[in-house]
Amino acid sequence: MGGVIPVAGKFTIEVASVKKSAACGGEQSVLDAFLREDIWVPHSCTQGTCGSCKIKVLGGTVDHRSSPLYTLSQEERDDSVALACQCAPVSDLTVEPINSFACDDRIPRHTLADYAGVIVGLEDIASSVRRLTVKLDAAMAFNPGQYVEITVPGLGVRRQYSISSNASDPSTLAMDVKYTAGGAASEWLFARASVGEEVAITGPYGRFGLHAAQDEEVIMLAGGTGLAPMKSIITSVLAGGLAPKVYLYHGDREVLDLYDFEYFRDLESADGRFVFRPAVSRGVQSDGWEGRIGRVTDLVAEDFASCKGMSALVCGSPGFVDSAAKSLKRRRMAPRLIIREEFTHAVPEPADQLLN
Amino acid sequence: MSTTTVSTWIDSITVEELEKDPNPIYERLRKEAAPVVFLPAIGLHVATTAEACREIASNSELWYGFISPAGGRTFGHGAILNENGPLHEDLREMVEPSLKPSVVDQYVEDLVRPIARKFLAEFENDGHADLVAQYAEQVSVRSLGDLLGLNSVSSDKLREWFHKLSVSFTNAAMTEDGEFANPEGFTPGDEARAEIRSIVDPLIDNWIVNPDHSMLSHWLHDGMPAGQTRDREYIYPTLYVDLLGAMQEPGHAIASTVAGLWSRPEQFERVIDDPSLIRRAIQESVRWTSPIWSATTRQAQQATTVQGVDLPEGTVVMMSYGSANRDENVYNAPSEYDLDRRPAPHLAFGAGKHGCAGTYFATEVIRIGLEELFEAIPNLERDEDHEIDFWGWGFRGPKELHAKWEV
Repeated sequence: MGGVIPVAGKFTIEVASVKKSAACGGEQSVLDAFLREDIWVPHSCTQGTCGSCKIKVLGGTVDHRSSPLYTLSQEERDDSVALACQCAPVSDLTVEPINSFACDDRIPRHTLADYAGVIVGLEDIASSVRRLTVKLDAAMAFNPGQYVEITVPGLGVRRQYSISSNASDPSTLAMDVKYTAGGAASEWLFARASVGEEVAITGPYGRFGLHAAQDEEVIMLAGGTGLAPMKSIITSVLAGGLAPKVYLYHGDREVLDLYDFEYFRDLESADGRFVFRPAVSRGVQSDGWEGRIGRVTDLVAEDFASCKGMSALVCGSPGFVDSAAKSLKRRRMAPRLIIREEFTHAVPEPADQLLN
Repeated sequence: MSTTTVSTWIDSITVEELEKDPNPIYERLRKEAAPVVFLPAIGLHVATTAEACREIASNSELWYGFISPAGGRTFGHGAILNENGPLHEDLREMVEPSLKPSVVDQYVEDLVRPIARKFLAEFENDGHADLVAQYAEQVSVRSLGDLLGLNSVSSDKLREWFHKLSVSFTNAAMTEDGEFANPEGFTPGDEARAEIRSIVDPLIDNWIVNPDHSMLSHWLHDGMPAGQTRDREYIYPTLYVDLLGAMQEPGHAIASTVAGLWSRPEQFERVIDDPSLIRRAIQESVRWTSPIWSATTRQAQQATTVQGVDLPEGTVVMMSYGSANRDENVYNAPSEYDLDRRPAPHLAFGAGKHGCAGTYFATEVIRIGLEELFEAIPNLERDEDHEIDFWGWGFRGPKELHAKWEV
C-alpha cells in the first residue's frame, strides 16, 4: 500500500472475492462499514456471540476490541480470523468471509443505514412487554425476521430488537420489548419514554426469516418476545404463499405474559393454513386459561410423531432455542432446516429465565 | 546400524498385538526407537514419525513404490502400488481421469446421495443399527461399485470380497527365515480373487466390444489405439487394490468419524447442527484413526539416511501413516479426537507419486454419507450397551458401531 496516506482513523476495507470496498473509521465495526456500502457479509447477532460473521484478514491488521474469547479463540486470532461485527481496522484491510456467501443466497439484501425516528406508539401488551412503534424519516426496506438497533436517548447505548410489524410498511416499525430490571433500555422505555420523542435507529440486521417459497410445512417456536419476528414473518409467509402450513407455538410462564393472543386466534379462524398453539409453563386454571400448560418445546414433541420433511423457525433465549432444537431433532427434523435466532442479553440472563 | 541394534521389546512385538491396538506400541516406538526401525515380526522396517514418513513418501526417485510380501501374494505383482516409472505413470493415467476433483464434482452427488438414502430407508425407523455393517460399508462399496461398473454385483458380495482380500493382505507375519508364518491365511484372498475373476471376466468381455461410461470400461479403452484394449491381466492387480482399499476405507472413515465425534458429545452436536463442519470432522477423523494405518511400503533404490538412520540399498519400509498422524511433535494430545484442533497437514492419504489417487472421491463419499446420516437421524446416539471395538493395524476402523435413536 505504498504511496497511500490514509486519512487518520479512516481506512479502506475490501472483500477480496467480490472486489468491493468500503471506508471504515472511528468506532465503526468492519461489518457495519460493509453493510452500509451494500456489501453483504454473512452475520446474525452482531453482538460477538454467534460467530457467523467471522472473516479471514488476508491483508492488514485489525483491533479485535471486545471480541469474546469463547467466540473467537486465540488460535483463530493467531490465524488472522476476526469477528466482523466487533473488530475495527487499524490499517487498510483485505478480508474474506469464512462462512460462504452461498449459505445466504436466498436472502434479499438491504443496505444498512441510520434513521431518525419519532415514537408514535407505546402500548403495554403483556404484563412486562411494551410495544414501541416508531415512525422513520425514510422507508427502511427489511426482510421479515430482521432486527434493528436502537440508540437509547440520553445514554447512547445501543440495543437490538426484532421488528414485529409488516415489511409492507417499511417506514413504521414496531418492536416488542420485555422489561429487564436494571436494563438501560428498559428503564428508559418503561419509565421515561414518551410519544413524540425522537429516537435514532440503525438497521436492518440479521438473516432470520423465511425468504423463499418452500414445500415444507413450518413449525415456529417462540419463547416470550421471540414472538416479535414471527409475527412479521407469518404475515409475509401467508400473503406470499411461501409455505403450505404454519404452526405457531408461543410459550411463556404466565397467562399474563402472553400477547397478541386475539390477533393470532383470529388469524387462525380466518386462514386454514395457520395453526396457533399458545401455552404457559406455570399457568393455573383460575386465570381462566383453558389452553395448554407446559413448555412449548416439550409440547411440540408431543404433537408431532415425526417432523421429517418439515422445517422450523425458532426464536427466544439461548436456553429456549437449544431445547427447541433438541425436541425437533428428537422428532427427526433435519438440523439444517431448523433456523434459529437467539436473544442476546445486555445484562446476564438469570438462570430461572433460561426456559420461557 | 538400525538393523542390528534392535532392543528386545521390539523383537517381541507380534502382529496380533499390533492388530488389536498399534497405538501404544507405536507411541513407545516414537519415543524410544529410531524413526525408521526394523520390526522382526514382519521382517521389514517401519517408519513411525511424520517427518520420516513424509521424507520417504515424497522422494519417489529414491524410494520406489513396493508391495509387502503379503500384499504381493494377495494381489499378484504389477499393481499400481508397486509399479514405478513409465508403467506406474500409465496406471495412474488409467485410473485418474474419473477421480479428478472437477470430474468427481460432476457425478458424485447424483451417485452417492441416492445410495445413502436407500440404505438409510432400510433401517431409519428401527431405532437402532450397526452403522458399520448396515450403513458405512454399504454406502462405501455401492458408490464405488456402481462407479466401476459392478452394478450387478451385490453390496454384500463386494463387502465379502474386501473383507477376504483384507485378511490376506494384512497376513503380514513372517518367520525368521523370511517365510510366511501363516500361509493358510491367504486362502480367503485366493477364494475372493477366483470369484472376482469369474464375475468380472464376462463383464470385461462385454466392455471390450460395448464400451460404456463405467470406470472399468474406461480403464480398458482410454488412451489405447482404436480397436485395442488394455490386457485384463494388466488391469487386475490394480482392480484388486481398488476392491480392497478403495472399497473398505471410506466405510472405515465414516464409522471412525462418528466414533470420534461420540468421544466429544458437544462437538458431535455442533456437527449435527451445522453440516458445513462435516469436512473438518472427516479430516480430523482420518488423522485420529487413519483407515490405511500401515499398509503401503517403499523400497530404497540406493543406500540412504532418513532422519539420521542409515538404510542400505533395497531396504523396504512400511509406511505407518497412522503413527505419523499421532506424532507428538506435530499434534497436541494426538490420541484425542478434536474437531477444533488447529488444522495441520496429515498423511492419511499418503504423499508423493504414490499418494492416494482417490483422495477426493473418497472424501466426497464420506461427506455425503455423513450428511445424509445426520440429516435423516439427527437424534442419533451411541448405544452404550456395545463397546466400540477398533481393530486392525494394516487397515483400521471400528468393527461394529452400534447406534440408537428415538423413533
